[in-house]
Amino acid sequence: MRLKEQILEKVFLLSAFAAVVGVILVFIFVSIKGIPIIKSIGITKFIFGLDWAPTDKHYGILPLIIGSFIVTFGALLIGAPMAIGTAIFLSEIAPSQIKAIVRPAVELLAGIPSVIYGFFGLIIIVPLVRMVFGGSGFGLLTGWLVLAIMILPTIATISEDAIGAVPRSYREASYGMGATKWQTIWRVVLPACKKGLMGATILGMGRAIGETMALLMVLGNAPVVPKSLTAPASALTSIIALDMSYASGDHQVALFAMGIVLFLISFSFVGLIRLVSSRG
Amino acid sequence: MLDKNLKNKIAMIFLWGNGLVTIVILALIIGYVLVKGLPAMSLEFIFTSPKGVTQSGGIFPTIIASIYVTGLSILIGAPVAVGAAIYLSEYTKEGRITQIIRFGADALAGVPSIVLGLFGLSLFVYILGLGWSMLSGALTLILMILPIIMRTTEDALQAVPNAWRQGSVGLGATKWQTIRKVVLPAATPRIMTGIVLGVGRVFGETAAVMFTAGLAINIPFLPNEPGRTMTSHLYLLATEGTSMRTAYGTALLLMGIILIFNLGARRLFGGSKVRR
Amino acid sequence: MRKCSRRPSGRPKLLALLLLVSIGTGCARGGAQKTVSVSGSTTIFAVAQAAAEEFNKRNPDVKVTVQGGGSSAGIEAAITGAGDIGMSSRDLKDEELKAGLAEHIIAIDAIAIIVNPDNPIEKLNARQVRDIFDGKIANWRQVGGKDVPIVLVNRDEASGTREAFLKKVMEGKKFSKDAVIQPGSGQVRSIVASTPAAIGYMSLGYVTPEVKVIEYDGTRPSKESIFKGKYKLSRKLKLFTKGRAKGATKKFIDFFLGDWVQKNIVSVEFIPVRG
Repeated sequence: MRLKEQILEKVFLLSAFAAVVGVILVFIFVSIKGIPIIKSIGITKFIFGLDWAPTDKHYGILPLIIGSFIVTFGALLIGAPMAIGTAIFLSEIAPSQIKAIVRPAVELLAGIPSVIYGFFGLIIIVPLVRMVFGGSGFGLLTGWLVLAIMILPTIATISEDAIGAVPRSYREASYGMGATKWQTIWRVVLPACKKGLMGATILGMGRAIGETMALLMVLGNAPVVPKSLTAPASALTSIIALDMSYASGDHQVALFAMGIVLFLISFSFVGLIRLVSSRG
Repeated sequence: MLDKNLKNKIAMIFLWGNGLVTIVILALIIGYVLVKGLPAMSLEFIFTSPKGVTQSGGIFPTIIASIYVTGLSILIGAPVAVGAAIYLSEYTKEGRITQIIRFGADALAGVPSIVLGLFGLSLFVYILGLGWSMLSGALTLILMILPIIMRTTEDALQAVPNAWRQGSVGLGATKWQTIRKVVLPAATPRIMTGIVLGVGRVFGETAAVMFTAGLAINIPFLPNEPGRTMTSHLYLLATEGTSMRTAYGTALLLMGIILIFNLGARRLFGGSKVRR
Repeated sequence: MRKCSRRPSGRPKLLALLLLVSIGTGCARGGAQKTVSVSGSTTIFAVAQAAAEEFNKRNPDVKVTVQGGGSSAGIEAAITGAGDIGMSSRDLKDEELKAGLAEHIIAIDAIAIIVNPDNPIEKLNARQVRDIFDGKIANWRQVGGKDVPIVLVNRDEASGTREAFLKKVMEGKKFSKDAVIQPGSGQVRSIVASTPAAIGYMSLGYVTPEVKVIEYDGTRPSKESIFKGKYKLSRKLKLFTKGRAKGATKKFIDFFLGDWVQKNIVSVEFIPVRG
């Protein structure tokens, strides 16, 4: 009896460390394949190289890193205000019947797989951008729009939690002093949950920078820093997915090394969220 | 300086508009896929294999492959995740160890799926020699569901009132007896919700399975066989463009299955709110 | 998909459990080869998939699986043994020649240069095409068309079609990096079909009336002009095996080269090598 209890506790402890072990394994086994980049290409030439051209054996990923960040921040600029607006709408304004429709809708939006967002982007947003702005329709702007839609539900649901956690008494006090609804939201509610909103936005950022399939399908995949809004672009993730199936030798090593870069970026985002949410 | 009431009005209009836009976007995505996909939908579409050079026709093998990798990953991953949550909630107090575990889970949840795909390709496909197979795909996906199920299960366990545990222990039950007979039964519906959400998540995953489960159109039987999931099939159909009708049909079926999972998860939880 | 004999041995014991599952299931098949794994060129993929479908129907004891991935991936798989047959729409590179692959030509294909049907351009010479894809010519006006910037559509580097195009058309020049890169022929076609200023290229078998094929260097691609060697952008489609094909692998390749597949499947998209 005692023994069984003890064994079980150990089993649960072991399970509890599965996630930690998982992260470490991911880092180790992506690194095993990616670290040789230091020897074969050189770390500076790899990170700061401006030319990504595997056929010519040029493996500089700076344009892809820049691409990843431009795509992410653009999407955040469009998506985050909309998401937080939706969250405010849901928790402060919407009548309960409308809330009963919109809230599950936002949650369902969060569950739709990225390949479907990509498909949707491909058949709706690409032609739309092509019609309005000319060019091929594949490019930065299309990537922003698709990604903004994708991160909207993530940021909205978490923001709504944060807004909902602001004590009711704050609002009542504000109304009692004669403030309008907007004044209450802007001056009382939002400042009170600033940290939560920031955490939500960083989480959305993490989702955006790791997004692969949708970007692969709408970005146009030109490995250059985009010259205009409608010019094709690339992200780290989409190039890995595009090239992985056939890459060999140094090229494959470079893709795994890009995986390490992505891992470190996402890891620092998780750390950032911890930092933001723990500081009082 | 604008009048505060006017300002309020403008802000309200904006926020209403914002909410409306969100609904419109959702309606547009679901509506468009529905309208375009319905004509392709039939029993034949679901139960036959892709045909000929254009890969039109049914998508049966891809449905089976999706169910196979998802099922296998849940089968292995869910018990581990639930065990982890039991440890966090029942066996230990907040401290250094739980902090490490929680950070690990958060970090794992943050790893981009394409990086998980690279990991699976490196370890399972190449180093362990499992090849592109259902097993490689499932083992990779486990890392994706682990943090999801861990968190929902922990929430579920913590929602069980402490008095119940004390009561059980007071009656002479051991810790494990208390967990098995009192805590787990009370938390089961919410744990199931977490698992179903996990299912929805991995069923829709593409990047992590493309390079681990393979792309061969094959009805997998043994875990060492390759197979193309519905998500990979949709991606390939959309880019190859040989049969858009099949692509629309696949998108609709995929979205339908995942929406049913997610709605089901909410239903299991009694209609209140759950998050991934 | 892999044969048991090829499994590397001597793995860490920790992982034995995982392996047990795969070995237990994978090696229970006994001696004769029962699976044939084919991977590679997306150009050949559809045809190979269709051939495999019929082959599996006729030979229930063997299972042929077909994956895409691009010519390079297929050749790589054949060399390393990750696959039994590599499909390729390009020739072997120098470093691949040493690996001892056996070549089986299964069809002849042409690369068509396509523009939007609204584009008045009907023909381009080799130099013009090269300058367009290299970025030197950036406006249709420069080749006698409308005054609009050219939208370049290119394939990804995994594509054997891209490699053949690079070799036969570009003559040492590099592709412009501003092109839209698409991982499949379908999207190339769809962009060209809906973008008035676009130009792209693809296997002749993928061409539909949505796009317009133009004359390249004075010749329009057709079965006749390709067969006579007048149309220069043609290439052989091949299957590669490590060493001479044996067992079920050989059986499948023979079936592929047989009259039935050549007549009913290959001829739908390409020019058959037989019949």
